[in-house]
Amino acid sequence: MINAGVLAAPKQSWRIDGVALVAALATLICAAPALAVLGLALTRADTGAAFGGDLLRDGAIGTVSLMLAGGGGAVLFGAAAAWLVSLCRFPGRGVFEWMLVLPLAAPSYILAYAYASLTWAGGVSPVPVSGFWGAAFVYAVGLYPYVYLAARAAFASQSSCTLEAARTLGAKPGHVFWRVALPLARPGIAAGGALAMMEIAADYGAAHHFGLTTLSTAIFRAWYAHGAPSVALQISAVLLLGAIVFLVLERRARGRASYAGGSTRWRPLPRYQLDPLASAAAIVFCTAPIVFGALLPLAWLGRLAILHANVEDVAGPFMNSMLLSGGGALTTLALAAAIAVAARRAAGLGKASLYAAAMGYAAPGAVIAMGALALFGLAREAGWVGGFGANFALIALIWSYAARFASAGVQPIDAGLARLSKGLDASARTLGAGPWRRFARIDLPIAAPSLAAAALILFVEILKELPATLILRPFDFDTLAVKAYAYASDERLLEAATPALLIFVAGLAPILLLTRGIGEARPGQRARQ
Amino acid sequence: MSVVALSHVRRAYGGVRALDDVSLTAPEAQVLALLGPSGSGKSTILRVIAGLEPVDAGEIRIGDELLSAPGRTAPTEERRVGMVFQDYALFPHLTADANVAFGLDKLSRAERDATALKWLDRVGLKQRAAAYPHELSGGEQQRVALARALAPAPRAVLLDEPFSGLDAALRAELRDATLATLMETRTTTLFVTHDAEDALQIADRLAIMKAGKLLQEGAPRQAYDFPASVDAAAALGPVNVFTGRVAHGAVATPFGSVKAAHLPDGSSAQAAVRAEALALRPGEGARVLSVRPHGAHDVVRIEAGGVVWRALIPARTPLGETVAVEIQPAGAFSFSASS
Repeated sequence: MINAGVLAAPKQSWRIDGVALVAALATLICAAPALAVLGLALTRADTGAAFGGDLLRDGAIGTVSLMLAGGGGAVLFGAAAAWLVSLCRFPGRGVFEWMLVLPLAAPSYILAYAYASLTWAGGVSPVPVSGFWGAAFVYAVGLYPYVYLAARAAFASQSSCTLEAARTLGAKPGHVFWRVALPLARPGIAAGGALAMMEIAADYGAAHHFGLTTLSTAIFRAWYAHGAPSVALQISAVLLLGAIVFLVLERRARGRASYAGGSTRWRPLPRYQLDPLASAAAIVFCTAPIVFGALLPLAWLGRLAILHANVEDVAGPFMNSMLLSGGGALTTLALAAAIAVAARRAAGLGKASLYAAAMGYAAPGAVIAMGALALFGLAREAGWVGGFGANFALIALIWSYAARFASAGVQPIDAGLARLSKGLDASARTLGAGPWRRFARIDLPIAAPSLAAAALILFVEILKELPATLILRPFDFDTLAVKAYAYASDERLLEAATPALLIFVAGLAPILLLTRGIGEARPGQRARQ
Repeated sequence: MSVVALSHVRRAYGGVRALDDVSLTAPEAQVLALLGPSGSGKSTILRVIAGLEPVDAGEIRIGDELLSAPGRTAPTEERRVGMVFQDYALFPHLTADANVAFGLDKLSRAERDATALKWLDRVGLKQRAAAYPHELSGGEQQRVALARALAPAPRAVLLDEPFSGLDAALRAELRDATLATLMETRTTTLFVTHDAEDALQIADRLAIMKAGKLLQEGAPRQAYDFPASVDAAAALGPVNVFTGRVAHGAVATPFGSVKAAHLPDGSSAQAAVRAEALALRPGEGARVLSVRPHGAHDVVRIEAGGVVWRALIPARTPLGETVAVEIQPAGAFSFSASS
């Protein structure tokens, strides 16, 4: 699939058709669950019982309040931390720069379980983390890295020349921040904030654990407690439309963020040296989110897992998780590769497949699962399939993963494709290499590191996924995420610690991979090719 | 080694004629330089010869073998035509010797390694065999790219602005080394450049391009001495142009007359005079506006009758505020201005 020969070949009609076909197929795979939700919610709205309206209203209020409270906290932490490490100088700055992304390793529900066990009997926390503000706290400390990364990239891409130009025009350092640096970073901060809020809206596990009614938990309640699939579909459709709105807002903000890169001359960003008192404050400020979002829950889960190792209970789910995440990651990787190639090669359909993948990524797992079930229902009505057996459940689950996460794989793969220039392909051809040799000797080795990175990212994303897995898994098929959820739901938080810890530790791997590239955000620091 | 021949080749991209009825022959075991400004179509010639682009009309042959015709493009990988790309396009994940060995897959492993090493030695880079492209300097990369293109013994080799990324001193050195290697291997070479000096130094034959058209083809000395048009004259060095009427078989410029015996009296004509064909000595006739050093020469801007020309004269020639100008016939040409 990753063949620059396909990318760079002279226009020959059958090749374009092949790529277009792949693009169309990829678009369909990514978009089908979401489209099924929207289509069925509109056409089968008749059976909405009275409780459906209440559930929808309460869920919407819950989701929006959590987005405001948790997202606001995330923006505050993320933007301030990004400003401190990008534009100030204080002891430990370099370490904070990469440690601040660590909370991305844990999904919100794992943090929720960790904090629940911290404040539970035998816990050490003096303040209970529970209810609405408990959830908002968990979202803020767990999701601020989205804002941090976007804002840091925005600050880092500001040329020192722009900032210095402001100073030559007579602006004091404080003014430079308020009048130049912050406005230039604002689109980045907005984009990061939109991402964090989308994660909050998509979360099921944490909101469920804190006993809150959100759109995500309302879907489950309509489906399982009330046995009302049409209500679940309607709530899913509302959640999906909201997610699409946020996706558009995020894309717009990110598009505008590029105006920050106006200057072409780069010099190391001058950082303001903070005096000792301010340095101490900065250190405390940067330490807090790292401790609350990663170190404290990680240490506590580790302690519980050691005190209460239930290896035999977790072995089966662990194997299931490995198999499911492995199979899901490979499937999604193939889909993401097809989309990445199509996006470069087939203009219209390639774009369409990118949008479809982005929509799948924005859609919460519960919504995608509802879509997969709706598609299954349509197929059964058409008489194509019989019962929802275990094999069918696994296929639906892997499809859901692929639709949900393809977008996360496209970006690293595209970065790999970008390294394959037409020139390399042309020069291999002048040296007598045919398509297969070019693929095996040039394209594949050059793109391999990016493919491996994409595979790792996808594996971990799927491992962490909870709501779609809960809805679609075959009967008695437990994964680590499902096991942690099940224990936590039964208030058996000690037992939940081991699977939660495993998910947390797995989540660290792509984060460490990500931080390796964090200093390369500035064009001037990129190694010369 | 073979003759590369284009006959009546056309190639257009989206309405832009990149190649407009170009017929051209690269003689066996010689270096043909394609000289022209960017956008003149010279790189497109290399790309159609390599088979990276199809032709819309015309034919391309190597020896007797038809490579390209409308609707028929032999695959690049089967043409046995080597190419050195402008950015060298070295494979970033392969070492220098693996890059050179890439085109030698028909050979056994031992032969392949030996041949690659021999070629690296030939371009003076044997000791850098294990280096990756990003560890090589620009000049070293260029030499690896040349060795890589020549190692499979191609029927012809195409060089696309191979010296453009290099600084002036290195450029001259590499140009000589490249020429030596090409002459040793007697490889039919097409070489694209926008630099007249590169072209004159390296080429056995010269093809001057502009806007997709071939303006002139011939030996460098002949092209320099007998340009076919003002543009062809300007491609090989700075010229001064004056438009006037032919009278008594000559065009009278403010600096002197230029012979135009082949043009009818009274017709409109362009006189083109090479900057180095203007001899200046103390006297009257033109005002000196400025004198600027240019290596072994000085560039002098002179003015007469409101017209400003440039003269290239030996450095440090003593000049007054005015000079007498003599146009040397060897570097002065006239062309019909109506065509």
